[in-house]
Amino acid sequence: MRVWDARLLQDNLPAGKQRTEHIYDYAGSEENRKQINQHFDRLQTRLILGLILGFLLPNALLSAYFHFQFTHTLKNSAILSLEAVADNQKNALDLYLRERIANIYNLFRSPDFTLHPPQEVMEGYLRTLRHFHDGFVDVGFLDPQGVQTGYAGPTPELLGSDYSDEPWFQHLMQGNKNHIISDSHPGIRDTEYFTVAVRQIFFDKVYVLRATLDPDKLFMLLRSTVQGSNVESALINAQGQYQVVDPKISFISKSSAFIPPPESPDQSVGIHELDIDDIPTLVAYAWLTETPWALLVSQPLSVAQAGMYRARLILTISLLCISLVISAVIFYTIRRLINDARRMTAKGQQLQEMLAHASKLASIGELAAGVAHEINNPLAIIMATSGVVRDMLNPEFELDHSPEAITKELAVIDSAATRAKGITKKLQEMGKTRMPQTEPCDINTQVETVLNRLKKVELRGKSIDIQLQLAPDLPPILAEPEPLRQIFNNILLNAADAIDDKGTITISTGVRDNMVAITISDTGRGIAPENLERIFHPFFTTKGGHHGTGLGLSIAASIVKYLGGVIKVNSTVGKGSAFTVLLPNNYYCPLT
Amino acid sequence: MILQDDMEKQTKFKVLLVDDEEIFREATARQLRVRGFAVLTADSGETALDLVRTDPPEVVLLDQEMPGMHGSDTFIAIKEINPLIEVIMLTGNTSVENALELMKLGTFDYLMKPVNIDELLYKVEDAHARKQLNERKQQRDSNSTT
Repeated sequence: MRVWDARLLQDNLPAGKQRTEHIYDYAGSEENRKQINQHFDRLQTRLILGLILGFLLPNALLSAYFHFQFTHTLKNSAILSLEAVADNQKNALDLYLRERIANIYNLFRSPDFTLHPPQEVMEGYLRTLRHFHDGFVDVGFLDPQGVQTGYAGPTPELLGSDYSDEPWFQHLMQGNKNHIISDSHPGIRDTEYFTVAVRQIFFDKVYVLRATLDPDKLFMLLRSTVQGSNVESALINAQGQYQVVDPKISFISKSSAFIPPPESPDQSVGIHELDIDDIPTLVAYAWLTETPWALLVSQPLSVAQAGMYRARLILTISLLCISLVISAVIFYTIRRLINDARRMTAKGQQLQEMLAHASKLASIGELAAGVAHEINNPLAIIMATSGVVRDMLNPEFELDHSPEAITKELAVIDSAATRAKGITKKLQEMGKTRMPQTEPCDINTQVETVLNRLKKVELRGKSIDIQLQLAPDLPPILAEPEPLRQIFNNILLNAADAIDDKGTITISTGVRDNMVAITISDTGRGIAPENLERIFHPFFTTKGGHHGTGLGLSIAASIVKYLGGVIKVNSTVGKGSAFTVLLPNNYYCPLT
Repeated sequence: MILQDDMEKQTKFKVLLVDDEEIFREATARQLRVRGFAVLTADSGETALDLVRTDPPEVVLLDQEMPGMHGSDTFIAIKEINPLIEVIMLTGNTSVENALELMKLGTFDYLMKPVNIDELLYKVEDAHARKQLNERKQQRDSNSTT
């Protein structure tokens, strides 16, 4: 017993040349080409975007990370640098002031020191001080009441002046430090000076040596210790009033816009970012040790972080350039690869189409050969019979040439011509294309209709028992009724022809694997195994003579294939055959 | 008179016509008979072989495409029974190549359907002439060996 599946039937092509229908169809081929092009377009876009994103995204994230780290480091570096400048300047200033205090203090230790210094001693003191630093303007000696009893300097009228009401004198007297550096003040001479005063106790009485310092010298010191471009330094007192400042920036009498937080044991140096004249500026501060002044060192942010901005610009431009180059390389490489693939696919498709065309030609050739063979048989009859008629009319042979005898031969010719016409008509039906008129069809009804029709003509007078085993709740299928009936008609005729004397044909319907199954089995001769694979081929017949055209099962298989179904054949020689048609359950009743 | 003599010559031998197509077979047989041939007919290869055994013909006209035993198989079987019998294949357009192959195996010739009766007669006569030639040759060979 062998089973043959009609799905193997691919437009009646030889094995190995099976093709799906759309390849044969020119419009289908164009559609295919479009789909392939669209596929490649999508692939190209996906690959380019994927590769660019795959490379650029991590690159961008890494760059962003390094950028922020770099910016942070450079900002810190700028801050630390300015703080270092402030710290250095503060140390220089403290040292300077300590030296000035020491200069004055040493006068108390000089050998010619007396509690009532004469003018020449005072002049000597001034020379000594100026020897150490030319910023000293004058020097004075104050008795315990704050009256200047000795003086040397450019303003001799200051001799005898009472300093007891001067704030610096009062602070010196009340404080626990033996020296003081006053804020910048005009004092008695109405000229801005700093006073540096040192107190000493002799015989339980406090005596003071004071000297005035030229603020310009302090300013020069500040200028000389500045490091970095656009860096400005200034000294302010605890109230924010400028003590030493570049005249271009402000005046001594004015107050600073920024007052640093008060000095604490753990923080005497710090930095702030603020807008000065709408310019973002870094301001570092440092409280001096010798006097409650703060050193302010400022630098515009754009200058302080110029290196960072430059590095960031270079980094950004480099990254953009690298990204552009890589994107361009990816884009052109992928496009070239895809174009190559597109060309290869087009060539492949062209070859496939050529192969399909060749197969189609081969198929047409086979069909034409089959047609020629089948038409030749009736033609051979026509020619042989016309030869007989010619012989009848030939007096030489002395045959019966009565009209009745000739009419009898002409009937044979007519019959053969009708047979040839039948073949061409069936071929036309096979090739006919039209719009399908589908409707829900009840298979049981269609089977019964076919059976009733056959019983009237083809099955009349035959001893064939028809058994029906029709499933009552068979779902309808969406199809054209006439082609559907033709399937059953052709298989039933085949079954009837397979039964020689008497036999049984059983028709059963049911649902199998969600498909509507119709099985037509007979108790006929059966099909020889070598013929089983050929029974669906056009013009294949085992009936001989003029009984079959060999197109019935071929047409049935074509219709089943068109409906998306399958024909299976089980056959045993001498016992019979069973044809099972499986049709897709394609109709779903609307909900009511 | 010449025609009369020719016809007498033609009636001397027997032709077997093998074809499953009954109407063609009988019509062609009738045409041959009126021309003086003794015609045997068979509708299959098997029947033809029976006749070759029981009533051997001079020439066999053998259809190539037949259900059951194929023409080429029938030809081989005929030659096995009697190698001197000449066989002319009757073929359609599609089986010309096959017929040519069979000529290499020893068929006398082939005729394409539909068959022209005059062409058929010529080929049958030629086949018969060759058979007679072969028979004489065989006779001579057997005489020389004895």
